Amino acid sequence: MKFLDHPPRFLFFTGKGGVGKTSIACATAVLLAGEGRRMLLVSTDPASNVGQVFGLNIGNQITAIPAVPNLYAMEIDPQAAAQAYRDRIVGPVRGVLPESVVKGIEEQLSGACTTEIAAFDEFTALMIDSALTERFDHIIFDTAPTGHTIRLLQLPGAWSGFLEEGKGDASCLGPLAGLEKQRSQYKAAVDALADPLHTRLVLVARAQHATLREAARTHEELAAIGLSQQYLVINGVLPAGEAKQDALAAAICEREQAALSAIPEALKPLPRDQVSLKPFNLVGLDALRQLLDSDTAVTESGNVELPPTLNAPDLSTLVDDIAADGHGLIMLMGKGGVGKTTLAAAVAVELASRGLPVHLTTSDPAAHLAETLEGTLANLTVGRIDPRVETERYRQHVLATKGAQLDAQGRALLEEDLRSPCTEEIAVFQAFSRIIREAGKKFVVMDTAPTGHTLLLLDATGAYHREIVRQMGSTGVHYTTPMMQLQDPKQTKILIVTLAETTPVLEAANLQADLRRASIEPWAWVVNNSIAASAPRSPLLRQRAHNELREIEAVATRHAKRFAVVSLLKNEPVGVDRLLELAEHITEVA
Amino acid sequence: MKSIQVFAPALCCNTGVCGVDVDQALVSFSADVDWAKQNGAQIERFNLAQQPMAFADSATVKAFLERSGAEALPLILVDGEVALAGRYPNRTELARWAGIAETVEVKPQGGCCSGSRCG
Repeated sequence: MKFLDHPPRFLFFTGKGGVGKTSIACATAVLLAGEGRRMLLVSTDPASNVGQVFGLNIGNQITAIPAVPNLYAMEIDPQAAAQAYRDRIVGPVRGVLPESVVKGIEEQLSGACTTEIAAFDEFTALMIDSALTERFDHIIFDTAPTGHTIRLLQLPGAWSGFLEEGKGDASCLGPLAGLEKQRSQYKAAVDALADPLHTRLVLVARAQHATLREAARTHEELAAIGLSQQYLVINGVLPAGEAKQDALAAAICEREQAALSAIPEALKPLPRDQVSLKPFNLVGLDALRQLLDSDTAVTESGNVELPPTLNAPDLSTLVDDIAADGHGLIMLMGKGGVGKTTLAAAVAVELASRGLPVHLTTSDPAAHLAETLEGTLANLTVGRIDPRVETERYRQHVLATKGAQLDAQGRALLEEDLRSPCTEEIAVFQAFSRIIREAGKKFVVMDTAPTGHTLLLLDATGAYHREIVRQMGSTGVHYTTPMMQLQDPKQTKILIVTLAETTPVLEAANLQADLRRASIEPWAWVVNNSIAASAPRSPLLRQRAHNELREIEAVATRHAKRFAVVSLLKNEPVGVDRLLELAEHITEVA
Repeated sequence: MKSIQVFAPALCCNTGVCGVDVDQALVSFSADVDWAKQNGAQIERFNLAQQPMAFADSATVKAFLERSGAEALPLILVDGEVALAGRYPNRTELARWAGIAETVEVKPQGGCCSGSRCG
């Protein structure tokens, strides 16, 4: 494995949820510890199973792993770090300032920026030389800060106004206000990050277009701020040997190879490794030791018992209930890469094939899926929100109008603020607001939606609109805000999309909690790309299918009011026929 | 020299670009504060989301919040007395309070009111 050669002091693993970066980080730590290096493994995964992997409780302090000499680990829970930060800020004024004011402050501090910066604050203590860290040769992090956070920390203007005076003149550095760390400590951490002698970034992806695109984006963003030493690891590649055993496996192999040969240009120069898909769950030392061992033959795991047909509702059943209302807004929400676009198209096609009027809006950057549908069904129209285009338009608009009179320094600060992740949410929200008005007459199916946090913050505007409604009540003028529409289950149904794997299910549960905070109740969950629903024959896939059953059970019993499972298909679900296929379960053919 | 204190609503960015609609007043105000400071003015900005204690510690600000709520911010105190509420001051006002002799042409004040928020 190239990414293991001459490792520097700090190794960061980054990638979308579910690509397996925590497993690879753990396996790397075990391997290097086995070579006699003193290792510290830092996990920030809120679903951290590092403790479970090693069979002990770890928590927020450096803990020795008895089974692996030289290995120590700690788990930082970014949510807990953010909560601790919120408590520090809000605690002293609770009961002093009005309750509504306190609630507003808490909501302001519930965003992704706060969580990321609170987690970064915990990192910095580990990235400077101290009695705490000097006994380790290497420190492995199973996450990396985003370019936005690092850029903010590099902004000299931001620092001078901020940490020295403590007056909060620096834009989104806001959440650092309550943190007592010294400027020198942050600077040391940021410098170490940008120094190839100190830091290596390992991008973890799967052999899929979407995750490779995401990896390319991360690569470019972090390279631009000086994090130049980057490696690419393609995880979970299905071994070619499996392809001989069933048609599904053959199709997956082919699809993965196609994705790899079309790898984004930006990733091509990076040193690259492949890690093959394993039949086992990555729990326990043996499993971890085998993960990075390319020579491990796939062990015949015997005959795994699988139900011939998965006992779970299919998408078609779910669409029956949606169709009953005749119109409405259907939004598919979930992390990137879970297949929202495909499922939105499948729901739209199912509805349209029942003769109902449907407008499908997709944010798919590739757009080929939407294009194949245009004009295929009489009552289906297709539109598009491209987040990049919307964001860029919004950014340019703000700079040209609101930034027109600023001097160079003011403009630089405004430009940096406009790079915040919030900007994309706002830009997409505006495009989104335009479209949802149509949902009163027909079905509008969307593969994107703002998060509960954004909605809550934007509801400041909603409250204003409600006040107008109240005042205009007697005049009979009807006004609803997007927020009001989303909270009304008669008008809006939210489908949470996930995969039948631990981290994606947890991320989906977090998303649901976030929506509930905004008084929006998700209507159903959809488990996508299920191997268990695909009746596989290859032993490796059967084992993976078996592992999925527990996650599907968790969705059914713990998370979802109603749910559906969609199988992993042999062919990319492009075109009406294949999308319709998606809605029904595959039965095992004898 | 008079001391100017600005008590702003909960914002994540001082420019407010994270809000649903960028507030020109905030963008301009950030630049004006910078200008006034360079001319020797003594200005402190407090963000409700970051320094709520500053709001709680001032009897004037606390009473204002109880009466009018966070929606009525910003509140500007000059030497502890309420000088302005509900909008950000413009460059002329800042200059007057701080006693800066204005040699720079004052640019027009932009929009108002919408509290910009983000996370």
